[in-house]
Amino acid sequence: MQVYKAFFKIISKNLSQIIIYFVVFISIIIILSNSNPNSVSTDFTEAKVNIAFINYDTGSKIVDGLRTHITQNANIIDIPDDTQNLQDALFFREVEYILRIPKGFTERLLSGSPMQIEKTIVPNSTSGIYIDNIINKYLNTVRLYNSSIEGLTEEELISYVENDLSKKTEVNVKASVDDTSVIEKRTYFFNYMAYVLFSVLILGISSVMMVFNNTDLKRRNLCSPVKLRDMNFQLILGNLSYAVISWFVLILVSFIMFGKYMFTTQGLLLLLNSFIFTLAALSISFLIGNSIKSKNAISAASNVFSLGSCFISGVFVPQSLMSDTVLKIASFTPSYWFVKSNNIISSLDNINFANLIPVFINMIIVIGFAVAVLAVSLVVIKQKRISVQ
Amino acid sequence: MFIHNYLYRIKCIIRDKQIMFWTLLFPIVLATLFNLAFKNLHSTENFSEIKVAIVDNDEFRKNTAFINAIESVSNSESNKSTKKLFDVIYTSMTEADKLLEDNKIKGYIYFEDEIKLVVKKSGIDQSIIKSFIDDFIQTNSTVLTIINRNPEAINKGLLNNVIDRTDYLKEVSVSKSAPNTIVNYFYTLVAMTCLYGSFWGLKEVTALQANLSPQGARVSVSPTHKLKLFLASMLAATTVQLGVITVLLGYLIIILKIDFGNQLGYIALTCLVGTIMGVTFGTCITTVVKKSEGLKIGILIGFSMTMSFLSGMMYDKMKYIVSTKVPILAYINPANLITDSFYSLYYYDTHTRFFTDIAILCIISGIFSLITYLVLRRQKYASL
Repeated sequence: MQVYKAFFKIISKNLSQIIIYFVVFISIIIILSNSNPNSVSTDFTEAKVNIAFINYDTGSKIVDGLRTHITQNANIIDIPDDTQNLQDALFFREVEYILRIPKGFTERLLSGSPMQIEKTIVPNSTSGIYIDNIINKYLNTVRLYNSSIEGLTEEELISYVENDLSKKTEVNVKASVDDTSVIEKRTYFFNYMAYVLFSVLILGISSVMMVFNNTDLKRRNLCSPVKLRDMNFQLILGNLSYAVISWFVLILVSFIMFGKYMFTTQGLLLLLNSFIFTLAALSISFLIGNSIKSKNAISAASNVFSLGSCFISGVFVPQSLMSDTVLKIASFTPSYWFVKSNNIISSLDNINFANLIPVFINMIIVIGFAVAVLAVSLVVIKQKRISVQ
Repeated sequence: MFIHNYLYRIKCIIRDKQIMFWTLLFPIVLATLFNLAFKNLHSTENFSEIKVAIVDNDEFRKNTAFINAIESVSNSESNKSTKKLFDVIYTSMTEADKLLEDNKIKGYIYFEDEIKLVVKKSGIDQSIIKSFIDDFIQTNSTVLTIINRNPEAINKGLLNNVIDRTDYLKEVSVSKSAPNTIVNYFYTLVAMTCLYGSFWGLKEVTALQANLSPQGARVSVSPTHKLKLFLASMLAATTVQLGVITVLLGYLIIILKIDFGNQLGYIALTCLVGTIMGVTFGTCITTVVKKSEGLKIGILIGFSMTMSFLSGMMYDKMKYIVSTKVPILAYINPANLITDSFYSLYYYDTHTRFFTDIAILCIISGIFSLITYLVLRRQKYASL
């Protein structure tokens, strides 16, 4: 098994570069898992929008009441009222809604000739409409009481308004079993795996194939007493074991992260899906490894190919947010089908054969990619052999 | 002689395919990918009519007030032109259940003693539906309270008063440009490319230093002054890198149509300063680090990537987090300074922040050049 051993000797020489990818992957996953706490809730919680509440009409009970009322649907973030700070906060969505209440607002409101509150929002945003409705509702209720009942004090007015606004609709949640944030985390984990697998496999396999494709070395190898068939068999075995080991390291992380879930049908399907994808990634790496001539080109190819296919197929940005044209182009990469299956599997509520059919079709497509690319690389190898000798 | 050296260095640089790939093609590829992936990202924030179903039973039909209310904010029939709150489907209970299951609607409303809402998960669209129904219930409660306190009110046009809603809000835009987060990704990409200019710095210093390359040894014994040689090299590197940045910017602005604002002069200034900073960064690292070339490249890539990350290339909020939590880091990070210059030009009405950024960038380039100069000058070798 000299060839097999040589395969892993070359891998271990390049291990430092490969490990970087694993480390980056694992650290991103860890950051991700700490980012939002696992809160499994089936209750309906109203969406909260981050807003900046700047009040120049101090001492007004109505404005205070408005502020308290808004906190049910918004998180008030303290930002000093200076143009650049507010601009920055809005640009990076630290707040999505800036409200500036002018001086004398309450007085004008109660006297029936209201002045307007200045709002600054992300144009046309949903959150803007949401908060608009809530503020207008509060102020219109105030106006209604004020114009219909004479001689109300501010305290009475607010207590009436608050009493009305505390009436809430009953909401039933037909929730999935799991919290969406947990589902997102799992999907993200497996989707991101596409990037790491591609990078790691292209990097490792290309460096090995480059050595074995070196003309002088190849000539020397061919006159050794090892049969060509044996040599190729060991090389294939080496490639396969390298791919399986990389896959195994990655799924080991998934077992640590998600524990018991990985042994459920969904978890096992995700594992199967990622394994099939590994095969496709392997055969693509094999093709790249056999077509590349210089060491410098390896990192270029691995970066461009892994980043490129992952960007367009929805690894970094969810497929649902991408345009149809991009997705059409992406459907020529296996990662698109892989990501698609991941998304379907992890959002399944009840698993039966009927709703797994699209997943299986995707898997077959990915296997098709693996076989087709392998065939192409065999042709490339044959061509090369004829031209070199 | 100076021009001769300059032209030959340019030839050497342009023929280096590998660095050309990383400084020119790679950013263009990344920009294309960013554009493909992020194009729709901004529009998801935009409001689109919320799909909602109403269970059409007897109890619903009796409630004319609610029918009026929902029709005024939905575009189920007549007024399709203006944008409304909801897109309503009237249907049966089982059908509504199925629509919800298939994610065709965000939720459905049904009447059973009172108004109820069924949704699949919490979210802002669902909250808007809820706030609409809340609004309806609350208005009823208000009218009842008022009539109890003051029965006269109904004759004084209370109901018209209810329908006549005042809009108390006036939109004031915060700047001349929309707060479109996506542009920041492209600004950091330009910053990254400027930093990749450091590869040219590395190449040039290697070609000049006697202990780094045989070519450097040959050049060192020539009678030309080292500073002249060095300046010619730097100028060549800056020229090529400036060309690279121009191509990238042209690609971003003309083909991808990324908004950089319209102050071309200032944009060019940023590119020039950014390029000089990038090249001198490369020369500085190459002269200071005395180890192998691989390690130097590693350091250059590592620094470039970390700095780009901190200015928001992988995660857009990163720039904000850094500048609010650790402001000093935002001011010493060249990638962030370049990004911030473009950002200020795009977003701010004033130029104070822009000039601060450019000034700091100049200082940083000055420091890099000074270090390079001090290490490079008057070196003698006992043996090579």
